[in-house]
Amino acid sequence: MNTSSSYKAKPRNRQSMTTLRFKKQTIGWLFIILSIIGIGLFYFYPMVQAFLLSLQSGMGANHEYVGFANYVRLLNDPAFLTALSNTMIYLLVQVPLMILLALVFSVLLNDPTLKFRGFFRTAIFLPAVTSLVAYAVVFKYLFSPDGLVNELLLQLNLITQPLNWISDPVLAKITIILAITWRWTGYNMIFYLSALQNVDKAIYEAARIDGASTIQQFFYITIPLLKPIILFTSIVSTIGTLQLFDEVMNITGGGPGDATVTISMYIYNLSFEYTPDFGYAATVSYMVLLLVVVFSFLQFKVAGDDQK
Amino acid sequence: MKKTSLFLLLFGLLFFMAACSGEENAAGNEEENDTNASSDGEIIAWAWDQHFNIAALNVALEHYEDENFNLEIIENAQDDIVQRLNTGLSSGTMKGMPNIVLIEDQRAQSFLQSYPDAFYPIDDYFSTDDFADYKIAPTSYDGKQYGLPFDTGVTGLFYRTDLIEEAGYTHDDLVDITWGEFTEIAKDVTDKTGVAMISLDPNDLGILRVMMQTVGSWYTNPEGEITIANNDALREALEHYKTLLDNDSVKIVSDWSTFLASFNNGEVASVPSGNWIAPSISAEDSQNGLWKLAPIPRLEAAGAVNASNLGGSSWYVLNIDGKEAAAEFLGKTFGSNVDFYQDLVEEVGAIGTYKPASEGDAYTFENEYFNGQQIIYEFSQWMEDIPEVDYGLNTYGIEDILAAEVQNYLNGKSLDDVLADTQTQAENQFK
Repeated sequence: MNTSSSYKAKPRNRQSMTTLRFKKQTIGWLFIILSIIGIGLFYFYPMVQAFLLSLQSGMGANHEYVGFANYVRLLNDPAFLTALSNTMIYLLVQVPLMILLALVFSVLLNDPTLKFRGFFRTAIFLPAVTSLVAYAVVFKYLFSPDGLVNELLLQLNLITQPLNWISDPVLAKITIILAITWRWTGYNMIFYLSALQNVDKAIYEAARIDGASTIQQFFYITIPLLKPIILFTSIVSTIGTLQLFDEVMNITGGGPGDATVTISMYIYNLSFEYTPDFGYAATVSYMVLLLVVVFSFLQFKVAGDDQK
Repeated sequence: MKKTSLFLLLFGLLFFMAACSGEENAAGNEEENDTNASSDGEIIAWAWDQHFNIAALNVALEHYEDENFNLEIIENAQDDIVQRLNTGLSSGTMKGMPNIVLIEDQRAQSFLQSYPDAFYPIDDYFSTDDFADYKIAPTSYDGKQYGLPFDTGVTGLFYRTDLIEEAGYTHDDLVDITWGEFTEIAKDVTDKTGVAMISLDPNDLGILRVMMQTVGSWYTNPEGEITIANNDALREALEHYKTLLDNDSVKIVSDWSTFLASFNNGEVASVPSGNWIAPSISAEDSQNGLWKLAPIPRLEAAGAVNASNLGGSSWYVLNIDGKEAAAEFLGKTFGSNVDFYQDLVEEVGAIGTYKPASEGDAYTFENEYFNGQQIIYEFSQWMEDIPEVDYGLNTYGIEDILAAEVQNYLNGKSLDDVLADTQTQAENQFK
């Protein structure tokens, strides 16, 4: 009421409270209408179109509506199931591994007595700013039969013959997992580091006085306090892993055979590598959406019970 | 309440827009204009490989006398061309498409059948009788000729004379042999010299295709049916493939550059591949005079010939303004000019599939690097024997399935199961 008092002198101030509120709301909407239209046009409209496309099938430009036949085909498609299981392996092995590593690094680098903290932080974060394709190509050469990694292992007498990192089904998966872990650990570490700045030092002091070891402090103080941010990073990482493409495309090309193909790569193959069937490719991409929803929901359920 | 109704309104709007643009005319093209054709009579061509395909186009331009003809050549990686054609053509607009485009033969049918009206038939601009027979099936569709055949992928067996001799063999022992004999020679070479016979990338089954085509067989038959389960040629090819690996005659490589390195570094004694690999082999000066060329081995089956194909592509004209000029250009150069083909061999090292060209002088050139062998002439002779094969639509799709099964086969799965399972999976996916 204070704000409107200055208008009292004017003749047209006899609005009821509701119209005033309506006017305020309209102004609010006006502010965001551009972004709403933008998001609608470039986000939701393509999603709707993609869904319509996923109900069609056929070669290239001549596709026709086939109802849910693509979705039925999806469930019986061994190539898709392989891609799905590969992606799940990456997800289940890589995400927990990376989250744990990032946590450990962030706690180590948060120690105020550590020398060259800035240097180490930068060194571990630096991979996150490299281009996906560039680092993937470098990894490919590091892990090639006569690459640096094999050379090193041979020199250390850990192996007697060069390992086929890229052409062995199991080793190829390990190579991919190593690559994405290298690329993304530093990125997640930054989130934890910043979250750690908000943790009251007094809590740790109290714990030390009570005789808690460093390990205990990590598990009973650091992790519970970082829980919301751990949830956030694991959801973001899960989504990222479900969309994994560049690394696999450039390091192994999906091989050997189909041992490292991911869902995204399968979508690419369906559209550009084989005779194009964009309808079915759109169906597979909706499957990725579904998986992202399911996994995010699960993670919220598991970790988000004490969310305010 | 108001909020929700506004949202509903917005969503309604979205669906409305979705419904509207479902019609033919809509769907804007992403990357346009920079390569937009036909506005000022300029002809645009897309191709890959600066030193080969694009160099060939430039040679063709030198041989084409038309003042008004302007050709702009845009270099794209092959994968990019495939992607841009697919996204552009499927959006239903021809904006931003080139007039002339190079397409690999094994992909051609997938484009011709996926986008039936996008390409311009060029029957009237050259005679298909002048070209190697095996090039016609992949470049035509529905009785019309769409592609102008360009380079051949005719294969040969390049080998290191010093290593082969060390193992006790001569040139004649490698001429007109079967793949079975090849595996035995390979074993001897590896045992006696310690050097692998060939290098293979487990992701690239090109060698199986080379073997199959020596009897005119493929993953599919001309009717488009998948013929893997009862495919004797493929069965035999896989047996040789496994034997070579089991005998340690193979150096495993992981990609193209390690493949090139394998023979440039002297880690393999032979390279069974397309003729286009010759410049890469002779790029290594230190091995000058150590290489020779023999015909590609054949399979045992009746009717097998010592000639096969790997790779090769052809020129296509898109059905947009300027198509006549583009087709005219191709027809007058690639389609009929013998002199052009001589220059093509001399300047670019590319062997075309135009049969009259092989009588020219450039083809009989004795290549010092290959012990004075007339390798171009030999290739052009073998080219005419290559069995014709209909590559069909799904070569690469089927091969991805097969590549996975081949891994199982190498790990002990029975060949019958491998072929049967590949057949079932391929049928599920491509029917």
